[in-house]
Amino acid sequence: MRKILFSAGLFLLIPLSPAFAGGQYPNIGETLPLYSVIPFVGMLLSIALFPLLAPKFWHHHFGKVSAFWAVVIAVPLLISYKGTAVYEILHIVLADYVPFIILLGALYTVSGGILLKGTLTGTPVVNTTMLTIGTLLASWMGTAGAAMLLIRPFLRANAHRKNRAFMVVFFIFLVANIGGSLTPLGDPPLFLGFLRGVPFFWTFNLLFPMLIAAGMLLILYFILDTYFYKKEGIVSPPDNETKEPIRLEGSHNFIFLAGIIGAVLMSGMAKWGEVSILGIHRGIQDVVRDGLLILMAVLSMIFTPKVVREDNAFTWFPIKEVAILFIGIFLTMIPCLKILQAGAKGELAFIISAVREPVHYFWITGSLSAFLDNAPTYLTFLSTAMGGFYPGIPESQAVALLIKENPIYLLAISVGAVFFGAVTYIGNAPNFMVRSIAEEAGTPMPSFFGYMLKYSFPILLIVFVLITLIFFI
Amino acid sequence: MKIEKILYPTKFRELAFNALESLLTLKEVGLKEVILYYVIPREEVGFVPYGGYLKEEEERIREEARIRFEDWQKTLSANGIGSKIIIEVGEPVANILRIAEKERVDLIVVGRKKRTGTEKPFVGSRTLQIITRSKIPALVSKYMVQFEWDGEMVTRLNDDIFRRPLLATDWSEPSERALETLASFNGLIEKAFVCHVICVKISKGLDKSELYRIERESKERLEDYCKRLKASGIEAEPHLGAGRTPLEIIRISRELKASMIIMGTTGKDRLHEIWLGSVSHRIVEISELPTLLVP
Repeated sequence: MRKILFSAGLFLLIPLSPAFAGGQYPNIGETLPLYSVIPFVGMLLSIALFPLLAPKFWHHHFGKVSAFWAVVIAVPLLISYKGTAVYEILHIVLADYVPFIILLGALYTVSGGILLKGTLTGTPVVNTTMLTIGTLLASWMGTAGAAMLLIRPFLRANAHRKNRAFMVVFFIFLVANIGGSLTPLGDPPLFLGFLRGVPFFWTFNLLFPMLIAAGMLLILYFILDTYFYKKEGIVSPPDNETKEPIRLEGSHNFIFLAGIIGAVLMSGMAKWGEVSILGIHRGIQDVVRDGLLILMAVLSMIFTPKVVREDNAFTWFPIKEVAILFIGIFLTMIPCLKILQAGAKGELAFIISAVREPVHYFWITGSLSAFLDNAPTYLTFLSTAMGGFYPGIPESQAVALLIKENPIYLLAISVGAVFFGAVTYIGNAPNFMVRSIAEEAGTPMPSFFGYMLKYSFPILLIVFVLITLIFFI
Repeated sequence: MKIEKILYPTKFRELAFNALESLLTLKEVGLKEVILYYVIPREEVGFVPYGGYLKEEEERIREEARIRFEDWQKTLSANGIGSKIIIEVGEPVANILRIAEKERVDLIVVGRKKRTGTEKPFVGSRTLQIITRSKIPALVSKYMVQFEWDGEMVTRLNDDIFRRPLLATDWSEPSERALETLASFNGLIEKAFVCHVICVKISKGLDKSELYRIERESKERLEDYCKRLKASGIEAEPHLGAGRTPLEIIRISRELKASMIIMGTTGKDRLHEIWLGSVSHRIVEISELPTLLVP
């Protein structure tokens, strides 16, 4: 009956009778029809296809597209499930979306206040060192933060080089993706896992996959860069410009960065009870964490000279874009997550039964993360794993059980979501920021398909096969 | 201080070219070059969500701006004034301030060239940011404005701005530099005016003798300013006002039919400005006259 009501609501958007008579906030995933995931698929396909097919339209109207899909799912959900739908929407907004955006915003604001100045000359050694530093920083200041800090100095250092596209591609591989594996701050999917109950330090389990992948890529980069450096016939670095010593401006922002790390860590360890916000129970420590993150961002804005941000070409636009797109993603994601969490009782039971082994989770989470954003993909397959192993069990308990009894599955999902984000420009939000900055600086970047065919498929897929053989078979 | 090189950033709004034309009289007092500057806002072409950068769009905007500027260059050239076109992608305020210093210009011309309707203030937040932060004199051009006068809407064309300038001074060092700048306009000026306002904050609570002393001193200083202008060949007239400084300056400017207001500005930081306010920025916001701010 509920499926019929939902279908009527989804496609006709007409008011429905208050027929729902279930208990308080039951698992709606057991009654949601399969086509309730259409808005989620539509949202993700919009992100994947519009930038390719109609980039100008997308640039000016992505907010309307996001709002459209959000309304398409929210209205029929509210009509069909009333109080339960209100609860689910408020829950995902208050418990997932708001903390997610606050963390991204705080990391973006604080790292945007740190400026690396000085004359760097892009030799193979200098470039490999910069990529290594970026890879190491990404887990602690976020992939977006580390990318924003280093991409412009990296491009300036290599302005005299002929072949620059491959450098930026490796930058995307390492700094904008794989480097963010070690903490929930590193990459958005890991923070969403943290919000669902994955402990802060659990992500250190990704250390060995990360070391292997990053090590292989850095060695390959060094070989390629040395080859091109020699081929370009650069005998000595250009000395027609006055050399400035290397220095960091706005380095006090590292204090605020430490504050962010401390706040997130605290929220994972402290248990200060709960508070009800609009009927949604949230841990007091989580609310305090969000407050502290906002405080760190505000302090960074106050104490960082405007000129430092200007020299960093800091703009709020990317974070606004993420905030607008992700409200659409989070709202449209509700049916998909709920159905998956219902396990065999949900309409996506066929996926749960098909995805059984860690290797499946690694490759399927990864493949979808490459073409859809990796944050919602991570949550989808975390829900798939929980639905498969612990159907009907509350999420926080299911996450704890998954870590205790089947951690290899969480590892496969996490590594897949983070690593495969590098396979395409649309796999992870920092990828497009790096591409945009590189193209503005005059680096001719490969097209969407050129990036995949020339770089990510031949290079990354070999690395991922090796990771599979070592960790997931 | 001579104005030899002007930075003219524009968004190609209506009357932008007419406003530039109205400044060409500066050639008579030494203007040699105009930098025609257009900033393509980074957000217009960059950071396409999950898409990257609109290179073709940038090229299109760049070409459009170049064609328009090259048309303007003909007029500049016909008037014997050199020019240079710079088109960049970036953040307008930061880029304008950076390029002004890099090109060592003597004057930045900012502000809308046409303002109609009843909205206040006369300038936007970007213009305010530029005048707050600029270390170079900035002329807030208001080529065509519409404002309320005696309950009626009046349209004013500010196309002969150097004819009757009003220098509003607070005796500060920037005011001294504003005086020097005003003196450099000799040859364009029909008559200049110098005013000072005894602020209500100062006069409140003072006994009469103290107030008279301040009044006498102010008049003497105004006379001194006028003498210095006369020494440069500019006829000048002193005016002393009292009350709320910005409103009083605007009243005087209207009574004297001034064509522009020139002021020194201390470049207070944002926090100081929020708490204490800035007379010069207030004037820029609410006066219908072009305002030249000298830091």
